[in-house]
Amino acid sequence: MANLVIDNVKKRYGTTEVLKGINIAIEAGEFLILVGPSGCGKSTLMNSIAGLEDVSEGRILIADNDVTYTSPKDRDIAMVFQSYALYPNMTVAQNISFGLEMRKVPKEERDVEVQRVAELLQINHLLNRKPAQLSGGQRQRVAMGRALARRPQLYLFDEPLSNLDAKLRVEMRTEIKKLHQKLGTTIVYVTHDQIEAMTLADRIAVMKDGEVQQLGTPQEIYDNPANLFVAGFMGSPAMNFIPAKVVSQDGNPMLELATNSTVALPFPKPEALVNHIGQTVLLGLRPEMITEPQPHKVGQDFVTTTDIKVEVTEPMGADTMIITRVNDAEINCRSNPAYPAAPGSVIEMMFDTSKAVVFDQATGHRLDK
Amino acid sequence: MSKASIGRQTTWVEKALRVALYTVLIIMATVYLMPFLVMLLTSLKDVEEIRTGTLLSLPSTLDLSAWSKAWGEACTGNNCGGISPYFLNSFQIVIPAVLISTLLGAINGYVISLWKFRGSDLFFAALLVGCFIPFQVILLPMARTLGWLGIANTTTGLVFVHVVYGVAFTTLFFRNFYQAIPGELVKAARLDGAGFFTIFYRIILPLSTPIIVVTVIWQFTQIWNDFLFGVAFSGFDTQPVTVALNNLVNTSFGGKEYNVDMAAAIIAALPTLAVYVLAGKYFVRGLTAGAVKG
Repeated sequence: MANLVIDNVKKRYGTTEVLKGINIAIEAGEFLILVGPSGCGKSTLMNSIAGLEDVSEGRILIADNDVTYTSPKDRDIAMVFQSYALYPNMTVAQNISFGLEMRKVPKEERDVEVQRVAELLQINHLLNRKPAQLSGGQRQRVAMGRALARRPQLYLFDEPLSNLDAKLRVEMRTEIKKLHQKLGTTIVYVTHDQIEAMTLADRIAVMKDGEVQQLGTPQEIYDNPANLFVAGFMGSPAMNFIPAKVVSQDGNPMLELATNSTVALPFPKPEALVNHIGQTVLLGLRPEMITEPQPHKVGQDFVTTTDIKVEVTEPMGADTMIITRVNDAEINCRSNPAYPAAPGSVIEMMFDTSKAVVFDQATGHRLDK
Repeated sequence: MSKASIGRQTTWVEKALRVALYTVLIIMATVYLMPFLVMLLTSLKDVEEIRTGTLLSLPSTLDLSAWSKAWGEACTGNNCGGISPYFLNSFQIVIPAVLISTLLGAINGYVISLWKFRGSDLFFAALLVGCFIPFQVILLPMARTLGWLGIANTTTGLVFVHVVYGVAFTTLFFRNFYQAIPGELVKAARLDGAGFFTIFYRIILPLSTPIIVVTVIWQFTQIWNDFLFGVAFSGFDTQPVTVALNNLVNTSFGGKEYNVDMAAAIIAALPTLAVYVLAGKYFVRGLTAGAVKG
């Protein structure tokens, strides 16, 4: 177990810069997730940490040792790949012990270690099989077993679940989280799946175009996104972005919404909007903040009820998503399935702006930071 | 075949097409096998019978004397020991040449596919040009080179020529095969602590059986059947069997012994035939495996 420091790492291929100065530091035992759309540089960063790619500038420290120019095998890290990369000609047991063998661990110790890992991951019955005889989930376990056997300082996971079907993916997700809690290892995990990021991470680094957009705990990133990109990327269904005009009511800046009728919504940080009166800003409101009127909340500060026209409903079992138009933007609302909402009807909904955020329409910057 | 067509009566058109197809195939096979049949029949007749009978008439007795003469007594030039010493010469050239060129091709392909370096694609393209250089073009420069290396007219020299000429092909085979191997396999092994040759030996080579078979068959056939390099670069004692066969056929005292010529030709062709019969199915399998995935 070790801490990891990524200090101003840059990576260039010719003239194109794919990593533009990455700064991330995590403590020993932390679970860091690198998330972002494809091409954001997260896999390049992962390969740089592993030493499979050289960095053009900056430093990488593992356990306070500068490993920027250390070869991969001497960094004491293990990696789980998207394709699992199991050695096809070796049995499961040989796959798990290969790294130990390369490090000249005696045969008896290797066998003990293989047993330990196999029990941990419940793959004892598979030890004599070849990878081709395993299912996707089993291969995934073996790939993790191979990483665990060496007890490295740092684990790297490169989209390990994206080749699994949806159900298995959720199971393995929980499995990985349990494993992390049990072993307390330092993990860097790359994914493009924001739900995986939310559920697994101690801290998330949201990346785009070779830059870290925001580094924070899942809740920080969810509640307090640094910019429009982070706000839109994290959360499912995505945050609603409503272009809203800032109007002054009794000296207080409010956000004007045209639903079925026109209302003005209060904003928790009015000082952020004072300089924008008369302009249009982007109001960010998560779907669960637009619900059917809830008696215990109605009447509180920042809670406004108004009529909306239902366009489409999407029942999801636990909730029903109601899609409507506000200020000409399509928005998702999360309501109780028992709340009557027939398509085409006009119903009363409750807008809770206590956690609302606002962005500059042109630049996407947060205005209320 | 779709489910609907199973159990359906085949129409007479389909039957006729099938018959036509088999007819064409049988004709083609016959045309292709006819020369071999003539060779075999001729090699079993004596000279008198060849002169009086037709090409396809069966031998009256099973006479193997032409075979033993071709093997041990026939004259090639003024050396009358049959083609057996040259047969052994060929093996002495083919075995090391095949092994070395296959191994080099495997390592080249491994580097070009899985350890890409700056310019590796260009390197591969340049190597590919080697596949398109006709034999004749390199005869003179190669003769100079062999002389300069001091291995002109030796078995070593011929092995060297075949290795150099073959590496372009073997590299191409292995490179295309290794393209289908995910790079993550090498990355995983590097993180596990394995080095360049350990990865090659422990992980990549065990996966390479099909392409090794393809390459060995290809190289064996090419080198065994080579005549031009053999005639140009071999010494008197190091001639391969193809050159000896030519000399045997061109050497005559009085009448032409077609039966001996045919027997010698079949003997010279047997090893490649044997290799193909033993490993042919891997050949086809290996070629298509590379083609589909690469």
